[in-house]
Amino acid sequence: MKRLLLLFTTIAALTSCNQANDDAQGDTPLIGVSMLSMQNEFIVNVSDEMEKKAEAVGAELIMVDAERSALKQIEQIESFIAQGVSAIIMNPCEVEASSPAVTKALAAGIPIINVNSATATKPTAFVGSDDVESGRIAMEYIAKRLGGKGNVIMIHGYMGQAAQIQREQGAREILTKYPGLKLLAHQTGEWDRAKSMSLMENWIQSYGNKVNAVFAQNDEMGMGAVKALEAAGIKDKVVVVSIDAIPDALRAVEKGTLDATVFQNAARQGSQAIETALKIIDKQPYEKEILVPFQLVTKENVAEFKK
Amino acid sequence: MIKTQSPLLARANRIRSLGIFGILFAFVVICASLALTTPRFLTVPNLTIILTQVSINALLAFGVTFVIITGGIDLSLGSMVAVTGVAAALFAHPDTYPLVVPLLVALAAGLAMGGFNGLVITKSKVPPFIVTLGTMTIGRGLALILSKGRPVSNLSDGFNFIGGGQVFGIPFPIIILVVVFGLCSLLLKKTIWGRYMYAVGGNEQAARASGISVAKIKMLVYTLCGALAALAGIVLTSRITTGQPNAGQGFELDAIAAAIIGGTSTSGGSGTMTGTLIGALLIGVISNGLDLLNVTSYYQEVVMGVIIIGAVVLDGLNRKR
Amino acid sequence: MESHPSDPILLVKSLSKSFGGIKALDEVQFTLHRGEVHVLMGENGAGKSTLMKILMGLETADLGEITFAGEPWASRDVRDSLAKGISMIHQELQVVPELPVAENIFLGRESTRWLPGWLDDPGIYQKTNNLLTDLGMTLDAHAKMKYLSVAEMQMVEIAKAISHDAKIIIMDEPTSALSDKEVSTLFGIIKDLKSKGVAIIYISHKMDEIAQIADTVTVLRDGKYVGTKPASELDQNALITMMVGRTIESLFPETTGQKGEVVLSVKNLGIPGKFQDISFDLSAGEVLGLAGLMGAGRTEVARAIFGLDSLAEGTVFIKKKKVTIRSPEEAIRHGVGYVSEDRKGWGCIPGMSVQHTLSLSSLRDHLRGSLINGKSEHTAANRMVNDLHIKTASLSQSVLQLSGGNQQKVLIGKTLLAKPEIIIFDEPTRGIDIGAKHEIYKLIRQLTAGGIAILLISSELPEILGLCDRVVVLSQGRQTALLSREEMSQEKIMQHAVHS
Repeated sequence: MKRLLLLFTTIAALTSCNQANDDAQGDTPLIGVSMLSMQNEFIVNVSDEMEKKAEAVGAELIMVDAERSALKQIEQIESFIAQGVSAIIMNPCEVEASSPAVTKALAAGIPIINVNSATATKPTAFVGSDDVESGRIAMEYIAKRLGGKGNVIMIHGYMGQAAQIQREQGAREILTKYPGLKLLAHQTGEWDRAKSMSLMENWIQSYGNKVNAVFAQNDEMGMGAVKALEAAGIKDKVVVVSIDAIPDALRAVEKGTLDATVFQNAARQGSQAIETALKIIDKQPYEKEILVPFQLVTKENVAEFKK
Repeated sequence: MIKTQSPLLARANRIRSLGIFGILFAFVVICASLALTTPRFLTVPNLTIILTQVSINALLAFGVTFVIITGGIDLSLGSMVAVTGVAAALFAHPDTYPLVVPLLVALAAGLAMGGFNGLVITKSKVPPFIVTLGTMTIGRGLALILSKGRPVSNLSDGFNFIGGGQVFGIPFPIIILVVVFGLCSLLLKKTIWGRYMYAVGGNEQAARASGISVAKIKMLVYTLCGALAALAGIVLTSRITTGQPNAGQGFELDAIAAAIIGGTSTSGGSGTMTGTLIGALLIGVISNGLDLLNVTSYYQEVVMGVIIIGAVVLDGLNRKR
Repeated sequence: MESHPSDPILLVKSLSKSFGGIKALDEVQFTLHRGEVHVLMGENGAGKSTLMKILMGLETADLGEITFAGEPWASRDVRDSLAKGISMIHQELQVVPELPVAENIFLGRESTRWLPGWLDDPGIYQKTNNLLTDLGMTLDAHAKMKYLSVAEMQMVEIAKAISHDAKIIIMDEPTSALSDKEVSTLFGIIKDLKSKGVAIIYISHKMDEIAQIADTVTVLRDGKYVGTKPASELDQNALITMMVGRTIESLFPETTGQKGEVVLSVKNLGIPGKFQDISFDLSAGEVLGLAGLMGAGRTEVARAIFGLDSLAEGTVFIKKKKVTIRSPEEAIRHGVGYVSEDRKGWGCIPGMSVQHTLSLSSLRDHLRGSLINGKSEHTAANRMVNDLHIKTASLSQSVLQLSGGNQQKVLIGKTLLAKPEIIIFDEPTRGIDIGAKHEIYKLIRQLTAGGIAILLISSELPEILGLCDRVVVLSQGRQTALLSREEMSQEKIMQHAVHS
């Protein structure tokens, strides 16, 4: 009985897939989208925007989740190629490891657009932001707040991921510019709020009042650090800055607990990616690289970013 | 004066008979060396922080200790933490429901998922490893569905007190930890159910032939594990003031590690809550100590692995003697 | 040093070994000659296995000396013993079920060719075939072990021992799982080994076997050496006296003969493929035997009554009331107890103490609120240890550390504590020594005198004849006879047991 049910659902799923394909044969263009991870709020925002945009312009999307696995992502792109989509949008998992996907798509003559982060192999077009820039903006703000002098702590994302590498690179550029800023300690918080909170608690024990500022490579970790500092009663003595501008972080900036975050425009990235894909499909001229700029969000301008 | 056995020696023998001698020894040595290397380690605030940080893993480890004693395993712990955490968060926004609602919702979710594990394992005879591997994925999906892939934030102060509040200067999670530890120890050592768990894990056939309902005991341990995961989910969500759909990834491995370091045999039939608690504390102390010493995370992972193997090897050597 | 053929191959002098405070071996001596079958006897816990473990290098002696082929020697480990030519065939055969016969024999000594690690299969199979032919065994070197019978696996183990160029082979109760025909094949092989000059240490409790093959018998008791005598000088009573240290007038105590009402009544029980049409009544104070050859379905009937397997056909009445028993839990609630034939598989729980094992089926009697009342549990367990004369260092000792006979007593105690009115004993004396056997027989008598009904499964006909008031005989899953005490005889039971 159970097996029968399973069979039915499988068949139903398969036929509905086929229908999607048949539709694509008509006039609506079919675009395959492979996203880094649907468990990441920012990525979900980007993909939501893509769906909205696609609906508005009448394009069909096949949206899949690579679950942070470059291997899985390559397989997904291969399946897009096999299905004969008109274009592919990829939010790469890794710089190097996701490159073969680009090569394969190009070899099959299907345009591929990278969104949000880059691969080593150049795609047809790139829509995103320069993560190095976000690190620069965040650390520059810390330098300004501390007057170019003080002890800083950095909380990394997953070591070795493109975002982590680039945000660290940007932050370090600024640190070398201000010799008065000293990097007291740095450690990974794995993009995770609870991990970063524990990390900060332990640092408070070892460094106590010596910490002047914290740079967390995403808001989740920034919020964790804020929680730990508040619990220790020293939040007002430490500047905390993070990146992404998720709703929770914006609320915290408004309340003044998080000093600043860096806004990465998910909506623009999503809609620009779809627009670029459609331009390429329709053989219209398009920009090969669209850089959506970052913006610093502080208490002064936070209202603009809250929806 | 001649004494046949000093009280200290008697105590040492009793600890040895508990099968946690090796791990206790390792724990003391590591604490002592940390205390010597960094003055920050042995301070009241730092020890409080360690206990708070350990509480979540310990709650999960208690649950999985029951399961491992019956010869099973539960890989869905982390996912259950996420589901129950998100479920609680959804009902914990300020000025919506009374505080008991999110707590009961999370508990119900944990009981349901744990019960589901137990039911499938007892009815289908599929190995627990596979069943809970399945629920691990199902749970992750459910957490994402419930939260629509986004963290659920803006929680009431009452709810946030559970993970962040203090009673008489003691963080609330520590109080939860102590109470749950007491209850779990009592359940394991002093009740029929605890005794039956050892019997089922030691020799399932013999337990059955002794008139024990093996299925009921298995249902009990997996459901209990779900309930404790719910408690951990509530504490975690409250501590970080957000219900995170991707929270708790890999938590099951830390919990299983704590139980095993604490002397719970993976083949079932033996284990103690005290051992598991020490196992969880050991993991917490190491991670705290390495942070205090500012050891890079790359090395932290190596050190942690070495200590896990070392503690278990030491325990094995001690048992052979 | 030159060794003379009549020199002993093995000479053990004043060997002692203690575990904790307990002396497992106390100044034990033992002499073994080439080409001799030397039976080693003693109750469980007498020190036989400790002595064998020392010979195999699994334990080291505290004191004493061992001379092997005229030279002082002490085994460092199993490899050392094997290299000297001492092999042991364990009671639980140590085979790799998925590997063929040949690879089992040469496990760990695989020959290689061409490349290091490249198996020389043809070589191994050739050697195995030669070996098997030499020993007169008709086994296929390519057959996987799991498809072999227990007897055949045992032959493989013997072949393995011979392939190690064994001078001494230790056999630990080798016939415990063999059929009569297989036993005679084994004895044939033993005689053949004897003629090749191999010395055999044979551990057994079975008197008839000893009469058949033993040259010499050595008896140990409580870790001490009692004596060594030529087998021809010993009869059953003399042996029992040596082992137990006292004379047992009659192995089977007299029955009181008083019977009460029918407490268990089964009608037309059946499970397809296992047994069918089984019907009998069992009265309070009665011992009903369940006899038959191995595989006749005796254990299956017992398991079904106890709720371990579910019945397909038939009805069970307990005290005239129809009951459906779906699990052991329910069986115990209905006053049925079961002592399994398989102590390891269905009885003992590794790591569990004597006290906890004893109370396992009756824990609910010791509840105070929802917690276990340790004191009352302890008292009950203690009573059983005293009543059943269980030899244990303490109540907290692990049950697996006890000797087989004492393990069996603990399991019986567990069943008794649940206060059953009907007890099914499935081969209660398998693998335990004569002293413990006698105690279990006495216990069965005590129980029936107290009005408990007993269903006794046994493969030992003297046991059935000595204890049972009536006997049901099964053959290939069918009930072929129900004999009264007057009708019972060894011949008659066998007649019905082989009936088809």
